[in-house]
Amino acid sequence: MTHSREDPFTIEIIQNSLAAISDEMFEVIRRTAMSPIIYEALDYSVSITDGDGNMLTQGNGVPVFLGVMDSLVGEILERYRDEPIRPGDIFVSNDPYGGGSTHLSDIAVISPVFFDNQLIAFVVNKSHFTEVGGKDPGSWTTNAVEVFQEGLQLPYLKLFSEGCVNQSIVSLLEANVRLPQMTLGDLWAGVAANRVGTRRMHDLIGKYGLSTFIVACRALLNYGERSVCTEINNLPKGTYCAEDVIDDDGLGNGPFPIKVRVDISENDFTVDFSGSNAQVPGPINASRTATESGVRAIFKALTNPNIPANAGCFRPLNVICPAGTVFTADRPAPVSLYWETIMAAADLIWKALAPHIPERLPAGHFLSVCGTMISGTHPITREYFLMVEPLVGGWGASFNADGQNGQFASADGETYNIPIEILETLYGIRATQYGFHNEDGGHGQYRGGKGVVLELEILAEDATLTASFGRHASKPWSVGGAASGTNNRIEIERLDGSIDTHAMPSRVPLFQGDRLRLITGTGGGYGDPHLRDPNSVKLDLVDGYITADQSLKYYLIDSGD
Amino acid sequence: MIRVATDVGGTFTDLVSCEIDQDTGVASAVRSHKANSTPPGFQKGVMDVLERSRLEPEEIGFFAHGTTMVINALLGRNGARTALITTQGFRDVLEIGRGNRPDLFNFHYRKPMPFVPRHLRFEVLERTGYLGDIIDPVDLKQLAAVLEQLKSMDVSSIAVCFLHSYANPENEVLALDYISKECPEMACIASHMISREWREFERTSTTTLSAYVHPVAAKYLENLNDAMEDVGCVGNMYVMKSNGGIDTFSSATKSPINLLESGPAAGVFGAVELGKQLSIGNIISLDVGGTTAKCALSMNGEIQITTDYRVEATPTYPGYPVSVPTVDLVEIGSGGGSICWIDDNGKLSVGPRSAGADPGPVAYGLGGTQPTVSDAHLITRRMNSRLFFGGEISPDISAVEDAFRVLASQLNVTLDEVACGVIRMADSNMANALRLVSVNRGHDPRDFTLIVFGGGGGLHAISVANELGINRVLLPMNPDVFSAWGMLLTDLRRDYIRTRLIPVSKIGAAYVRQQFEDMKNEAIAEFAKDGIPDHELTWSQYVDVRYRGQEHTVKIEVPTDRLDKLALRQIEKDFHAEHDRKYTFTLENPVEIVNSHLIVYSPVAKPALNELLSTGQSLDDAFSESRDVNFDIHGWLTVPIYDRLLLGPDMEIQGPAIIQEPSSTFVLWPGWQVDVDKFGILHACRIESQED
Repeated sequence: MTHSREDPFTIEIIQNSLAAISDEMFEVIRRTAMSPIIYEALDYSVSITDGDGNMLTQGNGVPVFLGVMDSLVGEILERYRDEPIRPGDIFVSNDPYGGGSTHLSDIAVISPVFFDNQLIAFVVNKSHFTEVGGKDPGSWTTNAVEVFQEGLQLPYLKLFSEGCVNQSIVSLLEANVRLPQMTLGDLWAGVAANRVGTRRMHDLIGKYGLSTFIVACRALLNYGERSVCTEINNLPKGTYCAEDVIDDDGLGNGPFPIKVRVDISENDFTVDFSGSNAQVPGPINASRTATESGVRAIFKALTNPNIPANAGCFRPLNVICPAGTVFTADRPAPVSLYWETIMAAADLIWKALAPHIPERLPAGHFLSVCGTMISGTHPITREYFLMVEPLVGGWGASFNADGQNGQFASADGETYNIPIEILETLYGIRATQYGFHNEDGGHGQYRGGKGVVLELEILAEDATLTASFGRHASKPWSVGGAASGTNNRIEIERLDGSIDTHAMPSRVPLFQGDRLRLITGTGGGYGDPHLRDPNSVKLDLVDGYITADQSLKYYLIDSGD
Repeated sequence: MIRVATDVGGTFTDLVSCEIDQDTGVASAVRSHKANSTPPGFQKGVMDVLERSRLEPEEIGFFAHGTTMVINALLGRNGARTALITTQGFRDVLEIGRGNRPDLFNFHYRKPMPFVPRHLRFEVLERTGYLGDIIDPVDLKQLAAVLEQLKSMDVSSIAVCFLHSYANPENEVLALDYISKECPEMACIASHMISREWREFERTSTTTLSAYVHPVAAKYLENLNDAMEDVGCVGNMYVMKSNGGIDTFSSATKSPINLLESGPAAGVFGAVELGKQLSIGNIISLDVGGTTAKCALSMNGEIQITTDYRVEATPTYPGYPVSVPTVDLVEIGSGGGSICWIDDNGKLSVGPRSAGADPGPVAYGLGGTQPTVSDAHLITRRMNSRLFFGGEISPDISAVEDAFRVLASQLNVTLDEVACGVIRMADSNMANALRLVSVNRGHDPRDFTLIVFGGGGGLHAISVANELGINRVLLPMNPDVFSAWGMLLTDLRRDYIRTRLIPVSKIGAAYVRQQFEDMKNEAIAEFAKDGIPDHELTWSQYVDVRYRGQEHTVKIEVPTDRLDKLALRQIEKDFHAEHDRKYTFTLENPVEIVNSHLIVYSPVAKPALNELLSTGQSLDDAFSESRDVNFDIHGWLTVPIYDRLLLGPDMEIQGPAIIQEPSSTFVLWPGWQVDVDKFGILHACRIESQED
């Protein structure tokens, strides 16, 4: 039965079906990828665009790929303008500067969808592969000075031509990465997801007819734009500014000043990063598209967090920034820690608007993925291991509630920590503590959520540590007279009892018996601490979220001990 | 001998019963009764419906019970004040959870509040390694101090969960023994009693929720048991579990968390069992109720079980993990009461908003003004207004039409188009849910028979089948009490699952065999306690397998005899094939077993399906009227309406037609035909191939 009618119900059903298809693609990757950062941290995204590269639907594990999928398709269309794209072609890319750019670890797989010999749509996915080669295991580093050290570059290559795999690309990849089974496994997961997506798209268009399908796509994009415009109209109009710093570029340079001006008018939302620091020597640089994706994430949070994102939602958004800044870096700047900077871009807008839009934005949070990479030899299996994990931390308080304790940063989303029981099985590590700390910070009428301590004892004979903990010098900001949050940091306690503190270590040697403490910040508070409900203070004391000293100092409440 | 099943829902308590002929083993026709549920003392509703049924309690030989009591205790937060005792350094695991924030763009996202607040989460020094080695035994002095503290904190239930206790529960057993001795008045649940799988947060959550519901659930089962004894029932009493099996009251009392999804599990099991009796192995079941639709898939007569289950989970909220074997089903907010609504920016949705039972659909006349799916069925006249709600409510058709007119003018379409559109969207939502359990898991729905039940199943069955290319649809007898019927046929079932990483190529079959031997011995001992000897038990064995480096596993059946090297090779081969089928590729990576899974059944004698007597009447006798019915793209058609209760064996009905009974309506679309079998079951099949 073919419903070839363009009634509102059919249109709606087609749109729901598109969402179902991207869900299905998402699930294929989750279940088949080999990199824990894909299947536990869900650091990937799938998308369907129309034939011109307008994003129709996107399935996200993390918010930050929101700007990159459509520009990725745009770049493919641009590059292959003179060379026909055919059914069965599959493209692969990790270019960090052009369309769809983030860093080399994120590899995108792009498949055109044809119907009646017409290029009608694209199905796309982009995932963080654990290994893409480069100077260090795990590919991202804190001390690269040019992109060539960060992995193998795959600029918009044709992995499949009309269904035939280009074995040369596969061999090249296999020879240039440290864990080829894992890397190729991830690649096939991406290809499998697109095959499923392509098949479902054929079924869908076959069922409802091409013209109805096109009408549905157009209606979907218009709905996205309309609903976002409604929301912009509800935001307070005006100009808002904020300044902050990025603490470190990984090489010890910094802090780097960054600033934003946000203009909200009737149907228009413009952010301008002019005046922010120039691109830096270390790998925290972000390219323009990557920064835009960070901005889109916060824009989405401000406008309509609930409706599925599509390209129409971003029509009212303008991002202004001169070339060559830390937000708009050019080749061959190292970019492997780009996430620190796009989070900083989003956090700046957040900071500028939080006091004015409290119903959408809490105070500042610990603002770093706090990514940790430990590699070494497993003491029992004698096999090489590579652990890559983000860490949870404290979120800022809201105008009506305490911040969330122990939750992943804003650049993460449907990200899962690695269970201790799995961590200990796979890596030469024993965990001795995973819990909240009560370091001094975040006090307010509503207090910031608590950061955590993850303490790990090294069981491997030797191992190395690479990590990127931003906000280790500047603190999560507060709102309305509350206290700032606390810093992220890493402590290494050696067998001799000495302790050294790090924030962005690169290949720091670890030895059996060393204790590693990964500590994340508590979020910023909201409102004057003296206005805090005394019962909440007492409960915090009972629960151990604050100390007796803090109670007396900030809330003027004697614990009675 | 009489077999009875009672199914307690939020609104009604259903009872179905049949009498078994001692000589032939054939069951009488199934009788059903309803009474109001009586929260919070649900056992009263059970006794009420039993009384209403006029069955003689002494003659009940088999009593199976399904209940929403446990899930209600969780959802209503009516459980016991619970404390958690865990490994030194890890009391916040329960609150950190997995750290995820599924509501990606909501910066005010709130994670689930733990059922145990921080000051009731205690740590003791103890440690087990991942290989099951005891690094530190439990520090009993410290434990004693914790218990001392607890006594003044008004706690009535304790959960114990230690790291790596799935690999070796020695420390948990030690702590449990000590606590039971020191605090005999408190309920105490240790994680190894509930789950032997890795992942400490999920296991801690499961154990905590289990301890939380334990006192109320144990009390409820005890009350029900006493009440049944008081009226003279001496038959075997069982409770339905989430894994699609029943268990004894005494065993269920030990781990009531296993009863969480007992109602839905019974429906899925009923569908599988019905399939078995009709020699149909591949089944998708669809249960359409008032507010939701639930669907599940079973292959070769096997229910699909998962331990990745979460209470209160939605796409934007992670809920609370309960890692016990649970029928793998997808539930969506699409049922008869689902409301059709338009958001401020013109987006149209059907569900998950629901009119519920109060005010209910517009047609109820109880004040509902928003058009629902049930109302749309009235407008299309697929549903007979005289039989609406079992004939108990005379629907307010003009109010329904008014409600749809508002929608029609907003959308600029006709009344008929809106009604058909609403149903089509509900169909599409259900079809997408069915895709989640089939195509998303690598199954082609065309290889399956759709079995529908629940009040609304028959209204959507064929259009959903059309969406998915399914060629066969079954409507059982008494579709509205089908879940309770399923319980009448259920075997005792217990699942034993153990996590241990076993590289298939490196480790000999003896190792795998040993895993299963250990679980079997445990099972035999446990069943013996219930007076069931091991020769009455049957087994199936599975392993959860993956490529090294992957996270997700694929379940592979393993032989119960001769688990040797050859069998291991076969497991590997089966895994590659299954992985290819599900995910379109295979890898050369080493293959490893993550979990061993033993299912133990104690089969109960099942009644054979009751055959309809041939009345000698013809189809014409079942014809009740002709009615104009809107069949969407086919337009308004004048079609025959049949009374299902007057249908006899071997009758054939060509679509378009409507087959109605007091509790359910079956819409037979053009291009489909129904055959009535000797049991009165409707078999619909496609007679025209679908144009693709």
